[in-house]
Amino acid sequence: MKKYEIKLDRRNFLKKSTMVGLASIAPGVFFQEFAHARPLDEPASDKIRWGMLIDTNQCTEDCDACVTACNDEHGIEDFGRPATDTQWIRKLNLIDEFSGKQHSIPMMCQHCENPPCVDVCPTGASFKRADGIVLVNKHTCIGCRYCMMSCPYKARSFVHENLENQLPHAPRGKGCVESCTLCVHKIDRGDGTTACSEACQKDGHQAILFGDLNDPESEISKQLSKFGGKEIRSDLGLNTAVRYRGI
Amino acid sequence: MNLIRYKSVELDKKFFLPVILIFIALASCLFAFVTLEHEGHWLTGMNNQVVWGIPHVFAIFLIVSASGILNIASISSVFGVPAYKPLSRLSGLLAIGLLIGGLMVLVLDLGRPDRLIVAMTTFNFKSIFAWNIFLYTGFLLIAVIYLWMMFEGRFNKYVTRVGMFAYGWRIILTTGTGSIFGFLVAKEAYDSAMLAPLFIAMSLLFGTAIFIQTIYYLKSSFEVIVGEIIFKRLRKLLLYFILAVLYFTILFHLTNLYATTHHDYEFFLLLSGNVYTYLFWIGQILLGTLLPLYLVSSKRFENCWNTLLLSSFLIIFGGFIQLYVIIISGQAFPLDMFPGFIENSTFGDGEVAQYIPSIYEFMLGLGGIAIASAVFIFGILILEFVPDSLKDEHLQNK
Amino acid sequence: MHKKLSIKILLTFILVFFSNVSITHDNVQHNIPVSSGESCVEPTDVMRAQHHFFIKHQSHETVVNGIRTKKYSLNNCIDCHIKPADDGSYPSVKSEEHFCSGCHIKAAAKVECFDCHASKPLKKVEIENKVSKK
Repeated sequence: MKKYEIKLDRRNFLKKSTMVGLASIAPGVFFQEFAHARPLDEPASDKIRWGMLIDTNQCTEDCDACVTACNDEHGIEDFGRPATDTQWIRKLNLIDEFSGKQHSIPMMCQHCENPPCVDVCPTGASFKRADGIVLVNKHTCIGCRYCMMSCPYKARSFVHENLENQLPHAPRGKGCVESCTLCVHKIDRGDGTTACSEACQKDGHQAILFGDLNDPESEISKQLSKFGGKEIRSDLGLNTAVRYRGI
Repeated sequence: MNLIRYKSVELDKKFFLPVILIFIALASCLFAFVTLEHEGHWLTGMNNQVVWGIPHVFAIFLIVSASGILNIASISSVFGVPAYKPLSRLSGLLAIGLLIGGLMVLVLDLGRPDRLIVAMTTFNFKSIFAWNIFLYTGFLLIAVIYLWMMFEGRFNKYVTRVGMFAYGWRIILTTGTGSIFGFLVAKEAYDSAMLAPLFIAMSLLFGTAIFIQTIYYLKSSFEVIVGEIIFKRLRKLLLYFILAVLYFTILFHLTNLYATTHHDYEFFLLLSGNVYTYLFWIGQILLGTLLPLYLVSSKRFENCWNTLLLSSFLIIFGGFIQLYVIIISGQAFPLDMFPGFIENSTFGDGEVAQYIPSIYEFMLGLGGIAIASAVFIFGILILEFVPDSLKDEHLQNK
Repeated sequence: MHKKLSIKILLTFILVFFSNVSITHDNVQHNIPVSSGESCVEPTDVMRAQHHFFIKHQSHETVVNGIRTKKYSLNNCIDCHIKPADDGSYPSVKSEEHFCSGCHIKAAAKVECFDCHASKPLKKVEIENKVSKK
């Protein structure tokens, strides 16, 4: 029996080669969530939970495209004072004391499901939006910095000086605490990704994947079920939305 | 029955120097506040790792002392020791002054102090900080009512009930203050229920020490004769509270030393020879605990007012150091996000953070002390807080 | 006698620090620079009286619920009301040429919006940012 005989007429050839062609570009297309802007008057919904999966195997020590992108996106200035300058995302260099293996991973607000910063904020300015993004409501923030003390990831920064020329989509000012917003302004207008993820892809690294953790069909959910995703300081029971591979 | 007589103090030359000093301190506090409000906190030594600094050390010292100093009145109202009754009014006044001072420093250091109204009206009740706002302002109200019950003859019969309520409120307040740190799971140096009782013990110790200084001041400047009974009782009280603080301190560190996961911080604090190690061993333990312990327990000084006064100063000095060590070293020590890994980054991960206090922070803190002193001086001038005599014969039932 | 003096001092302190001189709304001149084309999203007298309510409500809806309707959006106000001068530069929020500051400086009612929010529309800000970052 000729089980393995391949019928190769023109029609079939065209079909198959188109499939191969599509399959080769699919990762690039499907790596991002399909952009769907939520209607302007529709509130954020808890049916969605935004998260990120970071594949640290793709990160190198000399790359900080994500950091630069975040700073550019939000108008974060460098005042030359590293102890007080804002950092929403940073590259953390790790050396395993036992084996000597090195990693360089991006670290930002982990958007916990049980955020300690939300628990401790006296005015409720630090809050978790319905779709899981942990934010600071800067209208209510009194600048007490208690949330900064409570964060297990040192994710938050305090604005120590007067700011000028803020970007309209990223209001920030002296005296308030701030941290990674998962590019909430981009999410709400339907970009479907964050600045850091976008920059990482552009740079060709594909380390940062953004998506809806509640959607089992999303790329991030699929990758998580395939490769798993480690939660940093998981013993604290915070159930972070940002997960890591490769450490 | 001996009626206790109280007097208000006459305004005269001896207030000149204290008032000038208070004025200078308040003016510099105002200057510091306006500067920081305009320029931002980059002028201070506080940063994204050590977010609370000297102003908070002062503020928490004042608040914790305010709670503890009201204990003197509680000993009379709640525990029924008559010898303390003439001291109750002063205790209430000092508690109010110290708390106002502490609150003021806390508010002045906020990133957005213009949002104080927001802080007073919008609450997240899961936050111990929010509860503390109620506890502190409520404490002021209760202390005022407590004093009112003491001053108004026909309300004297309510002093016990209000005193008990105040006592319970104080315990909760100081627990709340200790829990500001105790509830922080993220930091190795905090995350402990032990901090609440430690703070309660500290409050009693610092409050009593400040009270002793006040009595000494009244004795030396306002001809209030203080008998042996008051002296001996206050001295013994100080001894008990030194021991209490020492107990909780030892227990706290001993428990941490049992947990290997806490070893890094304990080693950092107790053994690594940085500034916090010296502050802890020499400032807090040697000068702030062991030396005053000796001075208040030794037979050699059992009648010496000056030694008791010196002990009070040492205790307050040690108390500041203790709070500095707790608050600053706990923050300066890096988070252990990746056990078993060495970390470094552009954001100071894995490094012990530098904290060099700025002059502005001291100005804010001293302003708090100035306000407390101002409230005290104002109070003794206009109302009868000071007992006429604290001689042994004039105390009821000793 | 010292009691009376102390009380006088206290009263003086209270009166000096807690008295407020207020300007009634009628005294304030309205030099509103010409905005772009059509009318505002609400009639002028409604806006004058209630713009802060609209802004406050919208700020809560946007931040907490993610509702980004344009009508009362601050950026929308700015896009329309803040127009560049002939040379392309935007008025500083500290000067009375800025639409909001025109009234707020005169009325001595400080607005904290622009401590954080951009006081001018995006394009010019974007260019300035790129220039300042070299």
